[in-house]
Amino acid sequence: MTDTTSPDFQSVITPPPADSLVLEVKKLNFFYGQNQALYDVNLPVKKNAITALIGPSGCGKSTLLRIINRIYDLYPGQRAEGVIDFEGENIIGPNVDLVALRARIGMVFQKPTPFPMSIYDNVAFGVRLHSSKSKSELDEIVETSLRRAALWEEVKDKLTKSGLGLSGGQQQRLCVARGIAVNPEILLLDEPASALDPISTAKLEDTLEELKTDYTIVIVTHNLQQAARLSDYTGFMFLGKMIEFGPTEELFVKPKVDKTGEYIGGRFG
Amino acid sequence: MPAETKSIRFDPTDPIFRWVSFSAATLLLVVLGGLIASLVYGGWPALSTFGLDFFLKFKDCPAGSGAHFCIDTPWNPVTDVYSATAPIVGTIVTSFLALLFALPIAIGVAVFLTQFCPRYLAQPLSTAVELLAGIPSIVYGMWGLFVFAPWFAKDIQTPLMIAASQDPTSWVAKLVAGVPNGANLFTASIILAVMVLPYMASVFRELFRSIPPQVREAAFGIGATPFEVTTSVIIPYVKKGMIGVIMLGLGRALGETMAVTFIIGNSHRFPKSLFDSSSTIASTIANEFAEATTDLHTSALVALGLILFLITFTVLAIARWLLSSQRY
Repeated sequence: MTDTTSPDFQSVITPPPADSLVLEVKKLNFFYGQNQALYDVNLPVKKNAITALIGPSGCGKSTLLRIINRIYDLYPGQRAEGVIDFEGENIIGPNVDLVALRARIGMVFQKPTPFPMSIYDNVAFGVRLHSSKSKSELDEIVETSLRRAALWEEVKDKLTKSGLGLSGGQQQRLCVARGIAVNPEILLLDEPASALDPISTAKLEDTLEELKTDYTIVIVTHNLQQAARLSDYTGFMFLGKMIEFGPTEELFVKPKVDKTGEYIGGRFG
Repeated sequence: MPAETKSIRFDPTDPIFRWVSFSAATLLLVVLGGLIASLVYGGWPALSTFGLDFFLKFKDCPAGSGAHFCIDTPWNPVTDVYSATAPIVGTIVTSFLALLFALPIAIGVAVFLTQFCPRYLAQPLSTAVELLAGIPSIVYGMWGLFVFAPWFAKDIQTPLMIAASQDPTSWVAKLVAGVPNGANLFTASIILAVMVLPYMASVFRELFRSIPPQVREAAFGIGATPFEVTTSVIIPYVKKGMIGVIMLGLGRALGETMAVTFIIGNSHRFPKSLFDSSSTIASTIANEFAEATTDLHTSALVALGLILFLITFTVLAIARWLLSSQRY
């Protein structure tokens, strides 16, 4: 399916089957004050799959991610226009319950962001916000989340120690555990491995691979190999536009737009 | 070879520069040492004459009072008997009350400025806070004496006392007893609170600003409300720094002189209620130094100065220690 939405650029979207979508970004425009950062961006997100967003720095990948769970709302002057359809609701429309939305769409940031509290409390933090669980239920959630984030074995004996005392890679996996503890439907990851060493990166990737069975994952990455290895669908963005979106294999092996091929081939970016 | 000569380049002015900066630092220590020595020397006559009585003096309890011990607080230039208990207590009580009033408001200001404030308001508000910190203390004192105290006496203290007079034995009545002229412990604490508030608010703001924005975003990103983000993430993140700032604010309040002298009422006895007149170390020195006639009186005032120095020094030392042990 080819769709040319404006004369000055071409946007080729090969979406997954319509009934497999959990979220769909349609004609999204975004502004930082006077500056437009995204232009008519479309992004279909398939349920229980990993969607990767690639593109050179400043192309709007992180911006797109920050719109999906409305982190941009914290900053006055930033606004979005268009539709993000999440199970029938436009989540960038007015009257959206942001607290509930962010519980359903979690986010893990580029830099590890452990809270100044114990490892246990870090993971339990979000759970305590959204539901009242008994001590034993909470213990179980914390353990399961840490196990799924491949961190349990390393921290099970020091759950009461501060989360700030962990190494960078452990902190990032702690943040993943914190994100999945609230059982979100979608997990957004903004270059989660950029501050990690190769071993921690490999562990994190294994974690995401496993999480895919229960969660929908959207990941922004600078690492093309990571996108190719990990994702089922990939979107290539450039200068605030979605240039090409499609199944990862097709996009990497036989890109439909020249620009995509140039970026993947390392000729710019 | 040229690279090597470059790396060990020798400048003949280096030792001079080092010596100049060394003497600047040494001078400061010498001045500090001299100050302490002269305080001890000047205060020694009073300290040696009264001994421990200078800090805490007991007296026989009046018959039938049932108390186990009674504290005497003489400060009498006529009979030349001095005890510092009352001003020490006055100093500590006013400072703590001031912090109690100022702390929640300072946190509120800083949270608003860093978390919620629309951009067009942030700059004017921050400037206002800093201007407030720059007002000379004598101006606060005058405002306190001529504007705040009369208003407080008329519209707060008198109605409270009338209301409390229904039951003179209740704890409220005891708390608000006093001469309704507005010059008392409570109003002095309020003026002090107004004075330390802008300082604390602006340092809290800097502390909150030092938190990486991603941490705040992560807390919001997991679905926390602004209140939850503030209380569970932002404040704990800079907790130690905040305690240090509180101690620095306390240090300021302890040593504040002019504003307190104006409004505390200057009486040398234990304050019997919140609305009773009292005195602080600084206000006593400021009031009496010019009029001290006997050597012992002068010496007692210098000894008061030494005590104040020790109290603020302790508080500031704790603050430094807390600030330096913050590691995030």
